[in-house]
Amino acid sequence: MRALAATWCSAWLDAWANRRSFWTQLVVMTINDSVWVLFWILFFHRIGEVRGWDTEKMLLLFAILTTAAGIALGVFANARKVGQLAGDGELDATLTLPVDPLAHLLARRIDPSLIGDLAFGPILFALAGGPTPERIALFIVGSLCGAIVLTGFLIAAGSLTLFVGGRGEQADLAFQAALILASYPIDFFGGVTKILLFTAVPAAFISSLPAELVDSFTFQTTATLLGSAAFFSLLGIALFRLGMRRYASGAVWTRA
Amino acid sequence: MNPYLAAFVSGMRRTVAPGELIVRVGFYAVILVVFAAVWNAAMAANGGEVAGYGFAGILWYIAAAEAAQVATNARMIEDIGNDIGNGTVAIELLRPVSVVGLRLASEVGGAVVRLAGTCALAALFVPLAAGPPPSWNGVGLAIPSLVLAVCCNLAAQHAFAGIAFWLEDAKSAWFLYQKLIFLLGGMLLPLELLPDAMSGAARLLPFWAMSYAPGRLMAGYVEPWLLLLQVGWLVAMVGAAVAVFSSGERRLQAVGG
Repeated sequence: MRALAATWCSAWLDAWANRRSFWTQLVVMTINDSVWVLFWILFFHRIGEVRGWDTEKMLLLFAILTTAAGIALGVFANARKVGQLAGDGELDATLTLPVDPLAHLLARRIDPSLIGDLAFGPILFALAGGPTPERIALFIVGSLCGAIVLTGFLIAAGSLTLFVGGRGEQADLAFQAALILASYPIDFFGGVTKILLFTAVPAAFISSLPAELVDSFTFQTTATLLGSAAFFSLLGIALFRLGMRRYASGAVWTRA
Repeated sequence: MNPYLAAFVSGMRRTVAPGELIVRVGFYAVILVVFAAVWNAAMAANGGEVAGYGFAGILWYIAAAEAAQVATNARMIEDIGNDIGNGTVAIELLRPVSVVGLRLASEVGGAVVRLAGTCALAALFVPLAAGPPPSWNGVGLAIPSLVLAVCCNLAAQHAFAGIAFWLEDAKSAWFLYQKLIFLLGGMLLPLELLPDAMSGAARLLPFWAMSYAPGRLMAGYVEPWLLLLQVGWLVAMVGAAVAVFSSGERRLQAVGG
């Protein structure tokens, strides 16, 4: 654990080394998120309430999504790069270390622009999410579960590269699909798409269900969220470990 | 072969690689599924019409507006900025051709292939989800408008990325640029759905030529003057890109390249 903690600290220091770039990326991501907030305000202003969703509820969903994405893609930036790194044979350096390769990979890199998401989400929740002690606690639990689901799903999708080959193209697609689908309320979808959002692309567990948890707490929603977080984290770990048996070195010594 | 034509063909060949194309078209498919669901729900809540757009109109609008964006390399500003920042562009200056011209030709080549892929998918998906296009005359105008939109976008990205000649870093600029197209370019919402002041401002800026114009035409509004305005913006954007690069290249040489 100490080695991983040290790796994680060095990843932060690495990102922090170029402070101007760090802050620029953080601010730009905040502006990016603000544009989405503006979009939803304009959308609901013009369209009105849609299937029980209005501006307030939508901003809650967006606050959870940005927080979860900030953790999964900012704090554990390599989660979305597992497929590319494996496909390019760039895991050699990681495999020589006396720590779990997946844990090391996740701790190895920070993405400052996505840290902007992590900063934006809680601020948006504080401003528009009606924070009370109970809602704050549920917001934290929901965001953490969403982050775990997203991280596990991205690792699983990236690990498929070790089975099917390529350079992680399917992981890129999975990443984009998960984020786009998680950006919209689950109630907007129906039929097969809705089933897919709970299974193949678990976008529902990343944002909509956590938002429902904060808005109307039930033990059933909590259990579903915790269960999905456990399932996708185990799926990611299992697929990565199984896939690593097929890993072929690219004779490239990188820092991953 | 003419060097610009060679660059165009080379760009096409590079993009035909299945991996990248599948990801792009797959990404586009997800967008279409999402927006079909969103607008279906929104139309149902508004009696089937919003600002003159019915469900079929809005979905064809989104299909065209998004296709024009998905066809371009979203991170090109960052890539150009990196090439300028690390000096790679200095090597391109040795060639007896315009750096901007050659880069544009190559990018347009790649974008045309992606555009063909996205349009083929839209032609399959949107009729199933929303029915045929509201006007075939609109479709006839929308196709050249899509190509113009892509060219305008690529030229504007070069002009925007040229900032790296001065800042040596355009890493985050693409993010801001993309958001300008999202809202003021009408990619997420037709300009008619924006508040009046915002819509008025958007119509004065070039971004609508990169997304709104083909969307509007594809939605069944037969407004041929949109094409003329797009050509005007294309000339202006190419001029701006050439001017920025000419000025930047002199600066690059001054600091040693």
